[in-house]
Parts: sequence; C-alpha cells; structure tokens
Amino acid sequence: MTALVRLSHDDGVAVVELCDGRQNALGEAMVMELRARLEEAHHDETCKVIVVCGALEVFCSGAPRELLARLTTGDILPSDIALASALLDVPVPTIAAMEGHATGGGLALGLCADIVLLARESRYGATFMNMGFTPGMGMTRLLEHVLSPAVAHELLYTGELRRGADLEGRGVNHVLPRADVRARAIDIARRIAEKPRSALELLKHTLAAPRRAAFAASRLDEERMHTLSFADRATRARIEAEYIEES
Amino acid sequence: MNRDDILTVVRKHLAGVLDGVEAASIDPARSMKDYGANSLDIVEVVSASMRELRLKVPRSELSKLTNMDGLVDLLHKVATEKSATP
Repeated sequence: MTALVRLSHDDGVAVVELCDGRQNALGEAMVMELRARLEEAHHDETCKVIVVCGALEVFCSGAPRELLARLTTGDILPSDIALASALLDVPVPTIAAMEGHATGGGLALGLCADIVLLARESRYGATFMNMGFTPGMGMTRLLEHVLSPAVAHELLYTGELRRGADLEGRGVNHVLPRADVRARAIDIARRIAEKPRSALELLKHTLAAPRRAAFAASRLDEERMHTLSFADRATRARIEAEYIEES
Repeated sequence: MNRDDILTVVRKHLAGVLDGVEAASIDPARSMKDYGANSLDIVEVVSASMRELRLKVPRSELSKLTNMDGLVDLLHKVATEKSATP
C-alpha cells in the first residue's frame, strides 16, 4: 500500500507530508497514518521541530464525504476524529506549511500548529456551515485564537473560501507566494532546530497552553452542537448537495 | 433575466478573483481554469454569481460543467424555471 503520509528527517527538522495524491481528505486511514507519523517523528529524540505540509494544490480538504454521511446516521461520533489533539500534543514546536487549499477540518488541522504559513493564491475556509452542520475539530475556538474573533466569526458563519492574500496581517505568521511557502517553513524550522530539545519542549509546553486550552474549551460545545446538527434530517441532503468534490 | 445578464455577472465575479483580466475579454467558451482560476476560486465565483442572481444549483450538478457557457446555460435554465413558477 502506498503511504498517505510521508515522514522525512533532516538535521532535527522532521517533515510530515500528507500525500494521498488527491485531496488529502481526513479519512480514517489518513488520520491513522498522520497520527502514527507525528508520533514517530517526535519519539525520535533528535527531532526538534515538525513541519506539516500537504500538496502544492491542496493542503487538506477535511473530512471526506463518506465520513460526514456516517456522522449523519450516527454510525460514528464526531469525537472519534481525534486528530487535532494529536498535533496539539506534540511536545516540540510544529509548523503548518499550508501551500495549498485548506477547508473545514483541514484548516483546523493547520491551525493546531504553533506557526502557520499560508499561500497568497490558495483558499482557506471554515466550510462546515455550507453543508448545514456546525464547526468541529476545535474550529469554534482555534480560528479566533489565530485570527481576530471578528474575522474568525465571520468566516465561521459565512463558510467563505478566503484567499490567503486576504488573510495577510490577520494573525497568521506568513502569507507568501505558493512556491515560497515550504522553503520559508523549512528555514524557520532550521532556526528552531539549532536550539536544545529540552528547552524547546519547555517553551512549547508554555506557549501552546492557551491553544490547547482553547481547543479543550471547544470540545463540549462542539459535540453538543454536532449531536443536534448532524441529527437534523436536512443535513444529509445538504452534505450531498454542497460537498466540494474536486476534479 | 436573459442569458447575457447572467454571463455579465459570471464574468464580473471571475474578473474579480483574477489579476489583470478584463471582464469583457473573458471568452465563455473557455473554462475558468484557462484563465488561471484554481478549483476553489471557481467555487467562490460560482457561489458569488448565484447569490447575486438569487439562484441556487446544487454543487453536485455544477461539477459536470466544462466551460462558462455550460454554467451560464444551466443558470439560465434554472432562472427560466424559477420565473415560470407562480
């Protein structure tokens, strides 16, 4: 079986790359591999920092259609998608190099990183509400943790796919031409990798505490809202009609 | 609402997401991709157009389209059906 997630190491910098060759949707196999590669990366004691990236066109498209359908039938619970915490709990600093589009849970995944880079030409959106259900994966709190609450709430209500260029200066670390995003992320990672791991772990624990707390605070509310919005009979039809299937 | 009105709206929104492309110069026989729009640019252009025209077509139907003429025809058909409904 071909890998859905690749892990490479270079001098303290681990690169975890989503590479399913399609939309990098967060299906069960992808989530399992991503969690495994993240753990493998930071269990290596020479690892100082992890860069998470996807394809040039698409970073991550969030939950696949089939998974959303199963949520509407109650087959699985939204809390089963325990991916965000896997990235939030990484003990070393993490960098999301989001060269390509990121939507829904894919955007949430990137926002779990300590340092976030976007591409000017790519689009980023909290698309949950377009399909009739409330945001998940911590998005209700993670987005306003990075962007301002005003901008975050607008994006959550409208489900708009905003261009990276329009998010420049709004709280993300860098918004660059698509072709430059990964190189800049690696450059930042190399600076971080010069520091001792033990000190990085201490600082990460402290600096990431508000982000972890924001995520934790979102869980109860998001689960309650999901129970109601996924149980709504109209949601299933809306997912069928509005899910963005890429060509 | 005639077909040209719809084309004007689509052209305007496409020109809005592209740098240095005049709305009037956009050839509807071509795909938005030919003009450099990426997949999610197209999603936004189509939803902005539908919002302005007050039309709604499920995304699943839109995915079959190959060029702007196809989109304009589909929107025109939906608009005609809508105005025929009392």
